[in-house]
Amino acid sequence: MTVDALTPWPDTVDWRPVSPKLITVELIVRWAWTLIVVAGLCVGLVLQGHWLWQLGIALVVLNAIWRSFVTVRAVRAWGYAERDNDLLVRHGLLVRRLSIVPYARMQFVDVTAGPLERAFGLATVQLHTAAAASDARIPGLAPAEAARLRDRLTALGEDRAEGL
Amino acid sequence: MTATEPPETAVAEPEPRRRLHPLSPLLHGAKSIAVIVAALSWQTLSQVGLERFAIVVAVIAVGVVLFSIVGWLSTGYQVVGRELRISDGVVWRRNRAIPLERLQAVELRRPLLAQLTGLAELRLEVIGGGKTEAPLAYLTVREAAALRERLLRLAGRTRAMEAQPTDQPDAEAPAAPALERPLMRVKNRELVVSQLLTPQAFFLPVGVAFVVLQFVLEGSWTFIGIASTVTAMAGVLLQPVRRVLQDWDFRLARDPEGRLSVRYGLLETRNQVVPLNRVQAIGATWPLLWRGQGWLHLRLDIAGYAGEPGSGDSKRSDRLLPVGEFATARALVWEVLPGVDLAGLATSPPPARARWLNPFSLRSIGVGLTPEVFVSRWGLLTREMHIVPYARLQSVRVVQGPLQRLTGLATVYADTARGRAGQAKDRDLAEAYALAAELAVRARHAREQRTD
Repeated sequence: MTVDALTPWPDTVDWRPVSPKLITVELIVRWAWTLIVVAGLCVGLVLQGHWLWQLGIALVVLNAIWRSFVTVRAVRAWGYAERDNDLLVRHGLLVRRLSIVPYARMQFVDVTAGPLERAFGLATVQLHTAAAASDARIPGLAPAEAARLRDRLTALGEDRAEGL
Repeated sequence: MTATEPPETAVAEPEPRRRLHPLSPLLHGAKSIAVIVAALSWQTLSQVGLERFAIVVAVIAVGVVLFSIVGWLSTGYQVVGRELRISDGVVWRRNRAIPLERLQAVELRRPLLAQLTGLAELRLEVIGGGKTEAPLAYLTVREAAALRERLLRLAGRTRAMEAQPTDQPDAEAPAAPALERPLMRVKNRELVVSQLLTPQAFFLPVGVAFVVLQFVLEGSWTFIGIASTVTAMAGVLLQPVRRVLQDWDFRLARDPEGRLSVRYGLLETRNQVVPLNRVQAIGATWPLLWRGQGWLHLRLDIAGYAGEPGSGDSKRSDRLLPVGEFATARALVWEVLPGVDLAGLATSPPPARARWLNPFSLRSIGVGLTPEVFVSRWGLLTREMHIVPYARLQSVRVVQGPLQRLTGLATVYADTARGRAGQAKDRDLAEAYALAAELAVRARHAREQRTD
């Protein structure tokens, strides 16, 4: 039996993707930074005119283009699934990670949204347990979905709460 | 809002806020003065002369003691319902309520000065604290023991029991250490030998030879020079000595409520009480140099255990067995995690192709699932074993790095609230997912059983 590291248990688990709008947000952030760096390098080029500056600009732009393709795939690699007793989150391309976090272990839930995320109608939900290593963060959710997930998580967490 | 208060506090009169022992400011002052003197260092002493040095220290001492007295006046504690409330702070007032169901362990600590004056410090370990929260320093030993007993009793009480307020706080005042069932005691000779068999102890003669050589070559035998060199060396090389002092006369017992009671220390005696259901994991280590004796040491992972501030060896503060033979360790593990036999923990190795990632240590890696615990072991020279009860699992993770992807392997982590996660390194990918699913299921069953 072959197992794909990106989608474990494809038959039994209903994986949900994150919003494709997250790709746009990530690309905007990446290219904004690239523009700033390139602008800085251009100033250097104008002042000094050495060919190394041109090489630097080319490298930065090439890197950004390459990373943009990776970003597209990385966002598609994010996925989460709600099972009866636990939340599954998978992500990562180079290092692939899957987290299984039981609702009963939840200590608190964070819903965050940066200015750019808000502009595109996205939010990030993060589930915290008592273990610092637990890694259950889901970016790129629609606000309604984020709120629903938060309410569901807290409700389920309350049902099964215990003092560790 | 008084109508919604729990019946206990409504019936009983709210208990008065209590102060710490009146000698506490003096003891605190003495501690800070020692720190200040150490900070001023030997060099200052040689520069300003003994008299001025003494005057400076005296002035600082008076100031510190005065400050401590003000601090003492503003510090108080009281038990309200199922909370311990502590207020302290001179400039920034702080009122802290500690919900006792979150209590992980309580430690009664007696530094040398406190031993001389018959006092003790009570430390509470709660989850989420970067450092030990709410050290109550100092109380009389009797008071501290009674308060600890009371806090632990409140912490262990379930909601059903809470409905019937049977125990009066006054009736619990005399603690009952006489009923404790001793489990084991580490022989001091073994402790000393075990600390001699550490890398630091082997380097000690080298360090001493270096110092002697330096003085012989320079020919200057001043007191200051020797003192400062020794002080500088002591920090690193005398760690075995410190451990011997810390772990001196290590004793374990079960108290009448079934909690684990650990006592140790020579200059500073400590007595920890840990409810068994607060144990997150047990770690066993077989250091290379101890193998001749067949010794190992056991570590107890407790959530929220903060360890020594700044000493770097925070893992040292929660040991179960500083040194001991396998039979002792086996009995202890059985005692702490009933049904877990240290000798019967079979582990299976990762597939042979994991050799590419672990050229030397492949045979020392393994994981095993028993009905109660998840076992993982690793380490070629210093062999280690990590035992996590399913009921304590916080989350399960499967991680596959780029090299692992080439070989079709993955690592499964079993996270606990404190300490190292149990990890199944370099398993076959399909096996890793099966293992993760199995762990999640077993963790759920273990939790459901426990909440019944």
